[in-house]
Amino acid sequence: MSNPPRPSRWAATAAPTTPRTSGGLVARRGAGAPVIGSAPDAAPSPEVAPRRGAAPRPTRLELWQLALGVLFLLGAATAAVVIGPADLSPGAVLAELASRIPGIGVHSSLSPTDAAIVFQLRLPRICLGMLVGAMLALAGSSYQGVFQNPLADPYLLGVASGAGLGATLVLVELPSAASWPFNPLPVAAFAGAILGVVATFALGRGAGRARSPSSLILAGVAVGSFFTAAQTFLQQRDTPVLAEVYSWILGGLSTAGWGQVGLIAPYIALSAVVLVSCRRLLDVLSVGDDEAGSLGVRARRVRLVVIIAATLGTAAAVSVSGLIGFVGIIIPHTIRLFVGPSYRRIMPLSVLFGGGFLVLCDLLARSVVAPGEVPLGVVTAFLGAPFFLVVLRQSRRLT
Amino acid sequence: MKRTLLPTTLLVAAALLATCGASSVTADAAAPRAFPVSVSTSAGKVVIPARPTRILSLSASATQMLYAIGAGSQVIGVDKYSTYPANAPRTSFTGYETSAEDYVPKHPDLVLLAYDTSHLVAQLQKLHIPALVLGPATTVASAQAEITEIGVATGHLAAARSENASLAATISKIVAPLGSAAKGATYYIEFDPTYYSATSKSFPGALLGRLGMVNIADPAGKGSAFPQLSAEFIVKANPDYVFLADSVCCGQSATTFAKRPDFALLRAVKEHHVIAVNDSLASQWGPHAMEGFLQLAVNSVKHQASSTSSS
Repeated sequence: MSNPPRPSRWAATAAPTTPRTSGGLVARRGAGAPVIGSAPDAAPSPEVAPRRGAAPRPTRLELWQLALGVLFLLGAATAAVVIGPADLSPGAVLAELASRIPGIGVHSSLSPTDAAIVFQLRLPRICLGMLVGAMLALAGSSYQGVFQNPLADPYLLGVASGAGLGATLVLVELPSAASWPFNPLPVAAFAGAILGVVATFALGRGAGRARSPSSLILAGVAVGSFFTAAQTFLQQRDTPVLAEVYSWILGGLSTAGWGQVGLIAPYIALSAVVLVSCRRLLDVLSVGDDEAGSLGVRARRVRLVVIIAATLGTAAAVSVSGLIGFVGIIIPHTIRLFVGPSYRRIMPLSVLFGGGFLVLCDLLARSVVAPGEVPLGVVTAFLGAPFFLVVLRQSRRLT
Repeated sequence: MKRTLLPTTLLVAAALLATCGASSVTADAAAPRAFPVSVSTSAGKVVIPARPTRILSLSASATQMLYAIGAGSQVIGVDKYSTYPANAPRTSFTGYETSAEDYVPKHPDLVLLAYDTSHLVAQLQKLHIPALVLGPATTVASAQAEITEIGVATGHLAAARSENASLAATISKIVAPLGSAAKGATYYIEFDPTYYSATSKSFPGALLGRLGMVNIADPAGKGSAFPQLSAEFIVKANPDYVFLADSVCCGQSATTFAKRPDFALLRAVKEHHVIAVNDSLASQWGPHAMEGFLQLAVNSVKHQASSTSSS
């Protein structure tokens, strides 16, 4: 995969090359290595075209792109907070929200129960959707960048199957756990995901000296099948919990108040900060490992950091929301189609559009057959599967 | 896992029926009938401040119990699976909803659930709507405990007690004509054609146990009341009777059952002891389903027993 270096379709069209002696992630991490880093976003850096291929394209995140993302996220959140089966007047809901901001003298007209609907049901669910959607999209773009594989998604590397095994173990072995003051389910899912990644790494490392990204992916597939088999065995043995297991596998954003949001927010925030600050390095990686090495980037180390951070965040998201498919693939690819292949754009925009997209999907899932619901995973997959075809067509045209 | 998704999903409803019995919800029989009442459940104490007049039942079994104790006039909505009684105000709810807000337009003042997979109870609590989880019963006694609990919660404790007494009497009356005709007879009950069965620790298993029948799945049911058996296991056990609780979901009948490889040799097939049961009848634990299932079992066994003795 790394040899010979050639610009991939997924590669950024321009690698940042301005040498800098201080600042920038590489400088901080790669002690003694030739230091590279890009100029700050505000000052355009001289850009070098890849040896072969398209004309250089700007790779900075434009202000208008950022603004559009923020607008999309806020728009989705606003729609989700005012629309719902409990027929609350949108004006009153917005007034109620404004009244909670200190210093704004708006009088709220909602009854305490209606206020509880807004603050204890709708808002926590929106926040959970934002966190999970942002994390899945960000992890998806990170995995795609790290593995240079357009089909990589957050559930690679045994993350999902490990989390699934952990959750099933709790549901089967500790049926009374739901009534405990502290629900061990997310923790078990989290531990399972980490175990899955560690097992994948151990196996992938054993699989040949090359340690190429593809051997890691193969190890992930093997670990995933093994954990899924163990999970299926547990389910077969104890069928009464099937409903819970399947509701978890289909995914959803059900939350009891703010508990789930608080549980995952720290992990997702940490993971997002690390990943977004690695965006330039991913651009460098896209020219190939050897090339990146000659530019002073330790490809293996960057890859490891990104994978760990993305997995941590994915595990946190999966542990509360179950398996919500396709978000990690749809969002990065859509963004890529519109703004080009630079991770300097894709990563921050993934956060904004991923969060907004999942909030909108959840709104859709709960309004299409209202007052009933469609499982969230069904909505994202329903949009995701046709989108896959578009991506495939698009990529064929490009090659 | 995908391969088993369809049959297992079909099984879910059936699977739920019997084992969540851990929810040993015992209503305090001495609880005062005046509201507010508190009902202790496995999930903690639920306080019902006033006699509920807008009950939402998202469990077919709970619906049967409500109507059996005369609380039907307080019910404003039941889930789509609550087919009995026919005049219950059915909604499109499944009980699988993930947001309690879905129920708000109905303005319920008491919500009954069979299980809580999506934090519904906690969400309803935020809206100050009391909710009870009445998990699948595993014995007649645990079903009666749920009836008592519903009686306390709805202000029909006396009616609940007399319903429990008459339920016990009805069961005895249904079982009596059979005598010991079925005693020691072995049976296999299936919930889908991939041999998901139920042991005598499940609700239908407990009912058939009343007839003195012996469940062939018991040795396989370590840790689960709904083990998956294999065709080989069933052929080897060679049960006297077969109950097909997958007649609706999966179109199974005595004819389709006999056509499975090697099954024509089974004693139950040769003696025409394969009985199709409505899936929901075998998977609910309300009084209506309970009596219906037991009556069907007794009728078929009695009929079969007399026809074989006369031949």
